[in-house]
Amino acid sequence: MLKADGLVAGYGAAEEILKGASIDVHAGEIVTIIGPNGAGKSTLLKAIAGLVPLKGGTVVMNGADVTRKDALGRSKAGLAFVMQEKNVFGTMSVAENLEIASFGNPSGTTARREAIYARYPVLAGKRKALARTLSGGQRQLLAMGMGLMTEPALLLLDEPTAGLSPKAAEELFAAIIELNNSGLPILMVEQHALEALEISTRGYVIVTGRNAATGPGKELAADPEIRRLFLGG
Amino acid sequence: MTTVAQAILNGMMTGMLIAIPALGLTAIFAVLRYVNFAIGAYATVGAFAAWYVNTRLGLGVFPSAIVAFAAGGFVGLVAEQTALARLRPSGALAVAIASIAVNLILENLIRFIFGNDLQGFDLPIARDWRFAGLRLGPQQVQTAAIAIAIMAAVFLFLRFTRFGKAMRAVADNPDLGRLLGMDPSRIAMITVVLGAGLAGVGGVLLGLDTAIDPMTGSRLLLSIFAAAVLGGLGSIPGAVVGAVMIGIGEELAVLVLPATYRSAVGFATILLILSLRPAGILGERNI
Repeated sequence: MLKADGLVAGYGAAEEILKGASIDVHAGEIVTIIGPNGAGKSTLLKAIAGLVPLKGGTVVMNGADVTRKDALGRSKAGLAFVMQEKNVFGTMSVAENLEIASFGNPSGTTARREAIYARYPVLAGKRKALARTLSGGQRQLLAMGMGLMTEPALLLLDEPTAGLSPKAAEELFAAIIELNNSGLPILMVEQHALEALEISTRGYVIVTGRNAATGPGKELAADPEIRRLFLGG
Repeated sequence: MTTVAQAILNGMMTGMLIAIPALGLTAIFAVLRYVNFAIGAYATVGAFAAWYVNTRLGLGVFPSAIVAFAAGGFVGLVAEQTALARLRPSGALAVAIASIAVNLILENLIRFIFGNDLQGFDLPIARDWRFAGLRLGPQQVQTAAIAIAIMAAVFLFLRFTRFGKAMRAVADNPDLGRLLGMDPSRIAMITVVLGAGLAGVGGVLLGLDTAIDPMTGSRLLLSIFAAAVLGGLGSIPGAVVGAVMIGIGEELAVLVLPATYRSAVGFATILLILSLRPAGILGERNI
């Protein structure tokens, strides 16, 4: 499905943040990237989505090399990236946010929007509300819904539970599992590493821009060394 | 009492005319994040283009307004592409200062071509209507009706068309817009055409009311800017509300102050708003 190999990237002339990180995602998987602060997890996701220019490495999506494509090209290749912050249009209504999310591919917008409402009834009840009035959890669902409006083959989530209450975070993890059960593979970066690994098929540990460890999610979550380093015990 | 009511009525009429270029200014600010002072000259360009086709080719008010939109939009796009867009990496202030230069250049080009004299539109002369001691000219009513129709059209465009929504989206969050397949620079150019075109129409409407000369737009620039700041720069309904308030404020001010102090209302408003409530009445963000 997704094969990102040896990615090198950074911002400007400073030292590279990614120094050859590699990630694979196969059909049907939830894959979580964990690592210490500043390890380059979000940059890795942005580099895959085409938001950070690559200085090395390749990104292959469903067998097609998208390394030279920009964010729009990668979106057309089936990648949907949900940013951590500013991931909705705050001054527009929920309905307008969903509608405008299909700007690049407008045919069948209404049917797709109804499907999102059916999946997330809380959004259906707020369709006329301005996005900035939503709670953190609702806003994250809207952002994911906007990603789904592009009919992606792979959903990239950057710290989806950041800033959410424990209850809202739990609900969001349930929504992620439900989405994955419907057949959509998911690649995410998460601060709540233990909870995220528990629901993940596989996990990657990234340290200073390189792969440090990888394995099935539950095994990583149980590894004493990883628990000690990243999971606070 | 009647004097005050007449001043308020006149102010509302003028305000609706100021609202059109103020919409253009605020739309450009919302998407491109800079204050385009050349909007004054775009209004003058629109006014002279309309005057030309009205007096030389005999076109009526509506077709002349369309010509004004096209002329303002075209000149705005050329100025943006040749000068302003290139300065965008240097920051909003550099672009705003350059737009003052564009304003001066265009104003003097118009002076060079059409001369310095006052020019009047070729309109049927009509008697003012009177009711309850108030006077209202049929021409004022017609221009106000056109202004309201334009405001409604802008509102419907932004609210209901796919492209209008994309414009609002890019104004709100350009990064997310890009991620979803919008091209912010293309949307910016279309916004410039729309904004400068609106300024052009505003120029004609104001010219119909009185007469035009190469300074027509520049003289109104302060009121237009004050209207947009008062309503909240970047807010479309704010520009309309701000313009009507500025229009009424200016008319009321000249009841107690010499007419030369009319523009002081604009200055005072800008000063007060920027120090007390920089986001304006309906604005989303501080300037």
